[in-house]
Amino acid sequence: MTVYKYFLKIALKHKWIIISYTVIFFILSIINGSATGKTETIFMEKSLDIGVVDESNSELSISFIKYLEDDNILTTMENDKEYIQEQIFLEAIDAVIIIPKDFENLVINKKESIEIMRDERKLGSVQVENEINKFLIFANATYSDGKFDLSKVENVLDREIEVEVLKVDDYKKDNGVNTWFKYYFNYTGYIIIAIYVAVIGLLMLEINDKNIQDRMKVSSKKFFKFNMEIYLGQVTLAILITSIFILGSVLLKGKYIAEINFSKYLLNIFTFSFAILGFTFLINNLTNSRFVINGISSALSLGTAFISGVMVPQEFLADNVLRIAKFFPTYYFVKINEMNTNSFLDIKYEIFMQVLFGIFFFLIGLYFSKVKRSV
Amino acid sequence: MKNIWRNSLYIGKNMFRDISFSFWGLIYPIILVTFFYIAFNGLTNPKIETINLGIENGNDVASILEDIDILNVVEMSKEDAKKSLENEEIDGFVKEDLTLLVDRSGRDQTIIKSILDQIKQTVDLNEPLENLDFEVDYLKGKAQESNSILVIFYSLIAMVSTYGIFAGTEIVNLVQANLTPIGARLNVTPIRKSTFLTSGVLVGLFINILSNVLLLLFIKFVLKLDLIRSLGPSSLFILFGNLFGISLGIFIGASNKKSQSVKTMISITVTLFLSFLSGLMSPDIKVLIDSSVPLLGKINPIAIITNNLYRINLLNNTNNLSSGILLLIAYSLMLMFGSYIFLRRREYDSI
Repeated sequence: MTVYKYFLKIALKHKWIIISYTVIFFILSIINGSATGKTETIFMEKSLDIGVVDESNSELSISFIKYLEDDNILTTMENDKEYIQEQIFLEAIDAVIIIPKDFENLVINKKESIEIMRDERKLGSVQVENEINKFLIFANATYSDGKFDLSKVENVLDREIEVEVLKVDDYKKDNGVNTWFKYYFNYTGYIIIAIYVAVIGLLMLEINDKNIQDRMKVSSKKFFKFNMEIYLGQVTLAILITSIFILGSVLLKGKYIAEINFSKYLLNIFTFSFAILGFTFLINNLTNSRFVINGISSALSLGTAFISGVMVPQEFLADNVLRIAKFFPTYYFVKINEMNTNSFLDIKYEIFMQVLFGIFFFLIGLYFSKVKRSV
Repeated sequence: MKNIWRNSLYIGKNMFRDISFSFWGLIYPIILVTFFYIAFNGLTNPKIETINLGIENGNDVASILEDIDILNVVEMSKEDAKKSLENEEIDGFVKEDLTLLVDRSGRDQTIIKSILDQIKQTVDLNEPLENLDFEVDYLKGKAQESNSILVIFYSLIAMVSTYGIFAGTEIVNLVQANLTPIGARLNVTPIRKSTFLTSGVLVGLFINILSNVLLLLFIKFVLKLDLIRSLGPSSLFILFGNLFGISLGIFIGASNKKSQSVKTMISITVTLFLSFLSGLMSPDIKVLIDSSVPLLGKINPIAIITNNLYRINLLNNTNNLSSGILLLIAYSLMLMFGSYIFLRRREYDSI
C-alpha cells in the first residue's frame, strides 16, 4: 500500500489548504441556507414586502399603513428614488408606496393619491394595487361630514372569507425544516464537485509530477494495483470531506433530523460523492494542467449547479435546460433531494443513474490512465 | 522602456503558448456565462399569467369575477373541482357560500382570496352603492423592472475582471529565485526585477482585458443580452477590477512560499468567495448581505464592481461612482505596497 500511504502523506502535507478550502465552502453553504431558508411551502397567505414613505402622517395614512401591516411586511423608508429603484430591481422589496403630504385631500377628491413603484409584470403588483385601492374606496365610501369612519373600515376589513385546504402534503406541513435540508443538501451538489476536483486535483498534480511518474513506470507495481491504491486514497479523502458536510447539517439542524427522511439524504450524498469521485479520477487522468483542473472545478461545478436546480429550483427551469442537465449526475442528486419518498424504491432510478455515471467516469479515467502510462 | 517592451513580448508569448492558461483566461468565462444563460433564459422576463378559477355552478358572483382581467373563470361542480385542483387545472374553487377551496398556498391563491374578501367586505360595509366608486384608481404607478437574476451576470463579469489574479501569481513566481528556475536565472542577469514585474503586470492586464472584451462581445452578440448599455463608466470599473485582480495576484504570489498550485487555489477561493457575497450564486445572498452586514457589500471589491455595473447600466444611476473607483485604486495600491515589502532586497546565499 505504498502508493496509498504516499497519497495520504501528500494530503497531510496540504492539510491546511484542504481544511481552509472546505471551511470556506462550508461557510458558503451556511450563508446560502440562511438566504434560501425563508422560502417555505407551508400553507399561508403570501405576504408582500412593501416599503412605505409616509409624508402625510395623517389619521388616514396611519390607519392605511396599519391595514397593510396586517398581511404584509412593511419597511419604513426615506424618499430616496435611487435606493427605492435598486431595492425593487433586486427584488428585496415587492413595491414601494409614497404617501404624499396632501394625501387626505387627494383621496377625498378621488385623485391619484399614492405613488407606487413596482414591477408591473409581477403578480405581487396586482395584489398590492388591489389592496390599496380597496382600502381607499372603502374609506371614501364612509366619508361624511368632513370625516372618514376609519374604525368601520378597519372592522369590515377584518372580516375575511373562509379558506378550505383540500389536502396538505407532508412536505407542506414540515414548517420549513425539510426545506432547509433540501437547500443545504442541494448546495452540497455544487460544493462536492468544486472541492473534489480542486483538492484531489491539487494532490494528483504532485503525484503526476514527471519525475515521480518516471519512477513509477520503472517500478514493478502493476498498473491496476497502482490505480486502485490511488483511487482508494481519493475515496478516503472524499469520505472525510463529505462527512464534514453531513456533520455540518447535524450540527446546524440536528434536533430536527427525526422529522425528516435523513437516510434518504445520506444515501443520496454518498452515491453522488461516488459519481463525482469517478469524475475527478477521470479529470486527473485527462490533464496535468492546474489551470484546466481549476477551470473544470469552477466552470462545471457552478455550471451544472445552475442548470440542475441547485441554485434555482428545478421547477423554475425550462424543460430543455433540464434535458441538458440529465447528462450529469447533479440532476439526479437534486431530484432525489426534492422528492418526497416513502421507500428506497421511489429513488432507485436516480440512485442507479448516479452509480452508472460514477462507474462510467471511472472506467474512462482508467482507460486514459493506461494511455498516458504507455506513452 | 525598451526593456519593458522586450520583456512584455517574451512573457506574452510564453503565456499564450501555454494552452491551459489561455483556456482559463479566455474560454472559462464564456463557458460559465453560457451555463448561466441556459439556466436563466426565460426567467429574466416574467409575465403575468391569468389565474384559473373554478366556481360552483350558479354562484351569483361569477359575473363579477368574469369582469376581472387576470381571472379565467370556469363554472363546475364541487366534485369536478377537487379533481381539477389536484390536476392543477385550476388554482382555486369558489363554493356557493363564497368559501375558497385550494390545495396549496401561493401568490395566485392569495390574489383570489383578496378578491373574494373584497366582495364579502363590500357587502358587509353596508354603504349605499353610489358611495362606492370602483372606477377610481388611487394609484400613480411608476414602473421599475425587477430583474435580480441579472445580478448573477454582473457578478460574473466582476469576478472575471479580477482574473488578472492568476497572471499576477504567475509573474511574481517568475521573479523569485527560490521558487522557479527562471527566477533563479533572472536573478543572475542584469535584468531588473522591477522592470520584469512591470512587464508582467502589463501583459497580465492586456490578456485579462482581452478576455473581458471577448466575454462582453459574446454576451452581446451571441447571447444577445444587453447588459452593458453605458460603456464608458462600465469600462472604468472593469479596468480597475483588472488592476485590483493583478495586484491581489502579485500579493498572493509574493507573500508566501507555497507551490504555484496552492497559490492558484487561494486565488480561486478568494475571488469565488468575494463573488459569492456579491451575488454570483444567488441574488438572495446579495440581498441578505446588504441587509445584515451592509458594510461588507460596500467594501467587497467584487461587490463594488457588480453594484456599480448594474446601477450604471440598468438603473441609470451614476451617483457615487468615484467612491467605488477610489476604493478599488486604494486596494490595488495597498496590495502593491505590501508585495513590494515582501519582494524588496531579497538576496540569496545559495539556491
